[in-house]
Amino acid sequence: MNSSAQDSAFRRIGLPLLFALGTLALWEAAVRFFAIREVLLPTPSAIGARLVETFPLLMQHAWPTVWESVAGFAIASVLGVALAALLSASGLMRSMLYPNVVLFQLIPKIALAPLFIVWLGIGFQSRLTFSVFISFFPVVIAALAGLDNVDKSLLRLCRALTASSWQVFCSVRLPHALPYVFSGMKIATTFAIIGVIVGEFITSQAGLGYLILFASSQADTALILAAIVVLCGFGLLFYGAVALLERWTQKVFGE
Amino acid sequence: MTTMTSSPSWLQATSVAADRDASYLSVQGARKTYDTRNGQVHAVESADFDIDEGDFVSLVGPSGCGKSTLMSMIGGLESPSAGRIRVGGSPVTAPRRDFGYVFQDATLLPWKTVFDNVLFPIRTQKRPVADYLAEAERLLRLTDLWAFRDKRPAELSGGMRQRVAICRGLINDPQLLMMDEPFSALDAITRDDMNLALAQLWDQVHKTAVFITHSIREAVFLSDRVLVMNARPSRIVADIRVPFARPRRAEMQEEPLFNEICGFVRDKIHEGHGSRQPAFA
Repeated sequence: MNSSAQDSAFRRIGLPLLFALGTLALWEAAVRFFAIREVLLPTPSAIGARLVETFPLLMQHAWPTVWESVAGFAIASVLGVALAALLSASGLMRSMLYPNVVLFQLIPKIALAPLFIVWLGIGFQSRLTFSVFISFFPVVIAALAGLDNVDKSLLRLCRALTASSWQVFCSVRLPHALPYVFSGMKIATTFAIIGVIVGEFITSQAGLGYLILFASSQADTALILAAIVVLCGFGLLFYGAVALLERWTQKVFGE
Repeated sequence: MTTMTSSPSWLQATSVAADRDASYLSVQGARKTYDTRNGQVHAVESADFDIDEGDFVSLVGPSGCGKSTLMSMIGGLESPSAGRIRVGGSPVTAPRRDFGYVFQDATLLPWKTVFDNVLFPIRTQKRPVADYLAEAERLLRLTDLWAFRDKRPAELSGGMRQRVAICRGLINDPQLLMMDEPFSALDAITRDDMNLALAQLWDQVHKTAVFITHSIREAVFLSDRVLVMNARPSRIVADIRVPFARPRRAEMQEEPLFNEICGFVRDKIHEGHGSRQPAFA
């Protein structure tokens, strides 16, 4: 039993890690063996060296990206759950708005990024708003599915107990919807970062998106990839924080 | 109601009080019709009966006889298409906070403990929780659930969950408890245990109860009075005063009189069906 537990831990963590390390080693070996120029594809070790070398610069540019994504995500989550609550509470609102929400969901939203610059300028406001806009939809759709999927017999019980709609929302619908909300929020973390990076590509004087674009103009491929490594690290931490929050709510609101 | 000369003493004319509005629970010509594509459907044709305070009354009948609809009307969850219902001196127009409800599914909140589920009506109705902690403990002890008070519903068996639901139905000290087939989702052995547990609980709580079931033996075992319903037309076809004293014991089910009453109820139900299929146990 112990050995099978160890076995599954290896399969869960060890195996994917081993595969990733193997790929990096292969990459390193291939670049060295075929003598590929660094501007085309630097070795992982060169990227690592550049990362260490430019670490203060990377952190300086990571900050605006981080806070704008986190803020965008937080605003999108609150607005998304609020809109879902409105749609689930009012049949009229749902008939009027939901088809339009679905339609917006289908638009390739990145194409709209320049519009936000036109409307809100090149400051953080446009990037933040665009980040909210892009990460808002998965939260609405998931939260609404959760709020709607409540057991009808629980709703009948609430009616028998003369519960108000607000009480039904707080004590039954929302706790029931939490797993759905979190699955939407986990998608939203990635979308929020995408929103900010795209914004930085077009406007910014700072941020990792800006740094990537700047490094590319200097043909500093190692710096591009180092910035991407930092971005991946941030994305992972961000997702992990939301997953941790989810686990905590599952303890409180799970079965 | 025709009274036959040979009719047994426990069979009574459907009891209607002289001053109907003064009786404790009065169902006066209650009818429920639904409009469907194929015209009107009478879920309950016309029900007329009165219930005394403190009586445990079962409505027993085949599926589709309208017994659940009738209970929903008494509980204010559905309004009658015609006629009226009064409980404790006032008409029932909506769910009331002095009623208790138990449904076919336990419908517990999965993220709350047994204890918090029992207190859910108190919190929902914004009553002072502190005043009901002792009552919650008393009910959980009476139903042998006190040791499980911190468990969540997923950790309990089906019978235990339904017992939690009964405690929840009783927590606000309701003047009337309505139970809509509370044991029909349980297996036969658990169900027998639950019947015994409910009978014992009733010796302690003494409440007026309306109990819906399609099990004849369950109805006769638990009740002071059994109202037999039939489908098409949906109406009450017999009114039985169960002549067994409380406390009820499991051995009661072996007695000839118990089986005679059950047989009578079965015949009444099958009369309405026009055949003698052994469909109801």
